[in-house]
Amino acid sequence: MGTYLLPKSSIHLWLSKLLSRYAVFVPIEVEKQIHWHLLEPKDLETEPDSITPAQRRIRASEPVKSFMFEPRQQVASFPDALTFKQPGPRVLLGIKSCDLAALKVHDKILGEGEFKDPFYLAQRKNTLLVVADCPEPEQSCFCNLLGLTPYAAEGGDAALSVVDGNWLLDVNESGKELVDAAPELFTDLREGSSELARRDEQRHAALVSLNLTNARPWNPDLAGAVAAKLDDPAFWNKHAETCVECFGCLMGCPTCYCFLLYDQAKGAGVERTRTWDACYEAAYARVGGGANPRAEFIKRFANRFSCKFSAFKTDHGMYACTGCGRCFKACMGKIDIRKVLGEL
Amino acid sequence: MSNPYQPIPATILETHDETPNIRTFKLKPEREIPFLAGQFVELTVPGYGEAPFTPSSSHFKRDTFDMTIMKVGRATSALFDLKPGDRVGARGPFGQRYPLEKFEGKDIYIVGGGVGLAPLRALFLALVHEIGKYQRIFLRYGARTPADIVYKHLLPEWQKIPKVDIDLSVDVSDEKWMKKVGVVTCLMDEIPCDEKSSIAVVCGPPIMMKFVNQKLLDAGFQGGDIYLSMETNMSCGVGQCRHCRLGPYLTCKDGPVLTWDQIKDLENPFV
Ligand code: SF4
Ligand code: SF4
Repeated sequence: MGTYLLPKSSIHLWLSKLLSRYAVFVPIEVEKQIHWHLLEPKDLETEPDSITPAQRRIRASEPVKSFMFEPRQQVASFPDALTFKQPGPRVLLGIKSCDLAALKVHDKILGEGEFKDPFYLAQRKNTLLVVADCPEPEQSCFCNLLGLTPYAAEGGDAALSVVDGNWLLDVNESGKELVDAAPELFTDLREGSSELARRDEQRHAALVSLNLTNARPWNPDLAGAVAAKLDDPAFWNKHAETCVECFGCLMGCPTCYCFLLYDQAKGAGVERTRTWDACYEAAYARVGGGANPRAEFIKRFANRFSCKFSAFKTDHGMYACTGCGRCFKACMGKIDIRKVLGEL
Repeated sequence: MSNPYQPIPATILETHDETPNIRTFKLKPEREIPFLAGQFVELTVPGYGEAPFTPSSSHFKRDTFDMTIMKVGRATSALFDLKPGDRVGARGPFGQRYPLEKFEGKDIYIVGGGVGLAPLRALFLALVHEIGKYQRIFLRYGARTPADIVYKHLLPEWQKIPKVDIDLSVDVSDEKWMKKVGVVTCLMDEIPCDEKSSIAVVCGPPIMMKFVNQKLLDAGFQGGDIYLSMETNMSCGVGQCRHCRLGPYLTCKDGPVLTWDQIKDLENPFV
């Protein structure tokens, strides 16, 4: 739709306008880690730079799926059917390019096809996504190896860059309402403007830094390479050696979408809950009769890779990994997925 | 938008004990569940959870449907405590049906083991409903003992249907047993149909399926004509939760019936 400049002095004004229409979530820094925070009016009484999210270096610790595919959610009841509550409108101001890619994975599974998840779709449709550039990718970021850029190349409702403290917003048609909340605060940016040139420089620098950190390209056919390794237990044993089966890598992963349905008696009826699940769990694939096709951990370990890099690629044309680095940041065994993939 | 996780109430109309631990439940759902033979339904035992079962009655009559269920775990044990008039939950149908159009004009060789005859009954009844469309129907069924045979009261009736040929075996016989003794493959030494152009359909415990499948291949059946009911941990039913993954397949979506050609390259399809 257009590219706009929001001067530093207007940022809080705009956010306060947004607050009157949406629940606005921003990433904030707590003890050097980045977490999502529900913006409150009092947050805007501070200096513009203290709460506004654009300057956050990288993605939040929490995977963005938490907003659409809740960690624990009631999805049905019995005998009376669950009545569906429409959620209110939200803005996620400052997701990253890797987060956006992760949502595409969930879109494929929960939002497309014959059976759609009404809970996911309601939250997804009610949420505007503003994708902020990553000015300083960290050592754990490897989105470049998965074909992503540290800024929104496409998709989302708007892209946000910070140039000299001012905000640049590249707004798609779907994000028009964000600007419409206070159009007087925005000025059009023309192609060739110095601000846009500065933004492009910053973006380029971020890419260069990522390419330095992750210089060695992977096997161009990861899907085939993972599939070919499945009957080589020595390979997986070597990499799984320090795994303590805590499932941290799976719970934090923004693309993992496995879930468990369980029922609990509630009064005279039943409540059905959905929770995130982990394919490393020993009983994950066990059938009612007791047989378990992945009883050995090593099979479950390899299964995670074949699911993300082989099956998902074959079925949906993309890897179910975005290079966000959450899995090995969480890993107490210090298993680095880059190392595993690098040896394929 | 409809909620795929929401079951509808279904009333237990009657029950029939097939064996000491296998029971058939006749269910009347609040709304018809439009299943076709081969597809499955997720059954909710209120308070105890859900489990997948394939209806065992004909899809030509769906205001009620039968489920023949073995008592194996927590949910099925709780189900066996329920009485006619009690309500369970049901959602579905899920998965793929048998491609009956590919069966037309052919001999159909059905092999079942134990409670595995339950889903095959839905197929069998669909076939005999339109028996003119098919050549002959062979049913080979093995159970552990004569007492473990399901549909004892129905088998003699089925045998009377023209073009139907039934043979039974038990692993361990009793003094009244007049038929073969041995695992079900002992009924397969002579296969009275043209293997190259016939359809085989198998359902039973994994180990039985493994040996039956091998025997069918040795006899000359084509891998694409052998239909196997794969047992995996199907939970959501809609291809999302990922528990039932079998190589490149999600059995709840692509199965539960897959052909041997589809699964032959998997490391160990019969676990
Ligand atoms: S992985 Fe890439 S997109 Fe994600 S936070 Fe790091 S630099 Fe940004
Ligand atoms: S596998 Fe690791 S790097 Fe890839 S998306 Fe999941 S948490 Fe991020």
